[in-house]
Amino acid sequence: MTRADLEIPPRPLAQRLGAILWPSFFAAGVAAMVFFAIVDPLMLRDVTFPDLEMSRMAGYTIGFFLFWAATAASSLFTWLLLRPASRFNRRMPS
Amino acid sequence: MSDGASTESIPLYVKQPKIYPREIKGRFARLRVIAVWVLLGLYYVLPWININGQQIVLFDLVNRQFHIFGITLWPQDLIILSLLLAMAALTLFFFTALAGRLWCGYACPQTVWTEVFLWLERFAEGRRNKRMRLDQGPWNREKIARKSAKQFLWITFALWTGFTFVGFFVPIRDLGMRTLEFNLGGWETFWLFFYAFATYGNAGYLREQVCKYMCPYARFQSAMFDDDSLVISYDVNRGEPRGPRKKTADRAELGLGDCIDCLGCVQVCPTGIDIRDGLQIECIACAACIDVCDDVMDRMGYPRGLIRYTTENAMAGKPTRILRPRIFIYLAALLALATLVGLVLTGREPLLVDVLRDRTALHRVTDQALENPYTLKLSNRTDRDLAVRIDVQSQALTGLRIIEPTGPVVIAPSEVANQPLTIGLPIEQAQTGMHEITITATDAAGNVLNETETRFFIPARALE
Repeated sequence: MTRADLEIPPRPLAQRLGAILWPSFFAAGVAAMVFFAIVDPLMLRDVTFPDLEMSRMAGYTIGFFLFWAATAASSLFTWLLLRPASRFNRRMPS
Repeated sequence: MSDGASTESIPLYVKQPKIYPREIKGRFARLRVIAVWVLLGLYYVLPWININGQQIVLFDLVNRQFHIFGITLWPQDLIILSLLLAMAALTLFFFTALAGRLWCGYACPQTVWTEVFLWLERFAEGRRNKRMRLDQGPWNREKIARKSAKQFLWITFALWTGFTFVGFFVPIRDLGMRTLEFNLGGWETFWLFFYAFATYGNAGYLREQVCKYMCPYARFQSAMFDDDSLVISYDVNRGEPRGPRKKTADRAELGLGDCIDCLGCVQVCPTGIDIRDGLQIECIACAACIDVCDDVMDRMGYPRGLIRYTTENAMAGKPTRILRPRIFIYLAALLALATLVGLVLTGREPLLVDVLRDRTALHRVTDQALENPYTLKLSNRTDRDLAVRIDVQSQALTGLRIIEPTGPVVIAPSEVANQPLTIGLPIEQAQTGMHEITITATDAAGNVLNETETRFFIPARALE
């Protein structure tokens, strides 16, 4: 039996996307909830960009998506590290 | 995304036959219908219920207060919210240890909304066989009509779901009025469509794949399971060897077990497994296979329960223990948490103070003083009037004084008062920068009700 026989075939795109986006969505939701329970987005605005016109809702939404971007990047990284070498290796064109 | 030099194409969706769950009638199907009506009823109706002019469940993010059945929670009450979430998780553990995946089969939003989407699909496209024929057939007038009808129902229902979702965060009556006038804010519109799309995709298309590939609970539930937990299982000893036979045939003579291999249990399974293969992670314990098999057993004149709720111990012929340490541990933890919630709820601060900086003018300069305007949100959480006096202190700045309000502010019970606050500093005392200051609120008797930190802003250009 060769190594290639032991390879797991690539998972479908939807499954890969799901495995990256969904856990990170979940983690971002929890993080945003805890963060904004303690920090008022308007006060955060005051100490960072006091001149910015921003509503609380906008603050929550931006915050959530920032968290999601971070957690999704981490999930994506994990996925890259777990990919077998054979997904990257290729023959030189001859 | 390239996968090496190979030209293999990667399918967009999981490569497996589409599952067409067959409709079922029976005891457990009825239970699920009841669960769907109760849970979705709560979801769609609760936000519309007002008590004393207050929406009964409103997570008012804009004003940073949660109203839940007459209790108002503030950001400072995060601990209560955390405890409530911990209680919810423990309740899930408790029921899982006791009765297996009850949650999955009857209460999970994925199951509940998928059920409704299946009803709508059945209404528009017909029963299982008809749906399968329709999907295989050409795009004729009937197929277009039926598919469009289904999409119309799905999208309408999904949008209503998204609207209701936003209604848990923004007062729903007002939201409803503004929706009719096409006058929604950007974020409201965004979240409405976001949630509608998530419902549409999850309940309409992903369905069992959410349980199989996305659900964390399915993966860690084995930690709560033991041999005494309720599971759905096929009775191998009784069923095998399986095989078709006439109703009048003598199965002992034929050497057959009770399973007539009608594949009913496979056809009704929403996750597309064969329960006769044993315990599987994909099984969401919806009990559809029990309903359909009981029906077949009735018609064959065999006793019910070839597929049934049972435990691994019972299957192995050992006694099942319901009261076991695991159950008591979960119960004790639940009780402890409930007590803690009660204690925290009763010992909350009487007055909450929220200091907001004025959005348009951070500072202004008068003849002798540099002023910072703020808005105070004073929330009276007691059931009596509070006369609140506001003071200001700072370690860095001397000479700070309150310019407005000039006297005590009276706040009615449960009222949230928006009180303009102006703090002034003599120009000669001013040093450029953001300075920490403390706002103190005291009641008429001189008790300190609240201390809140905020900042006093002195820009360089104000001192020129």
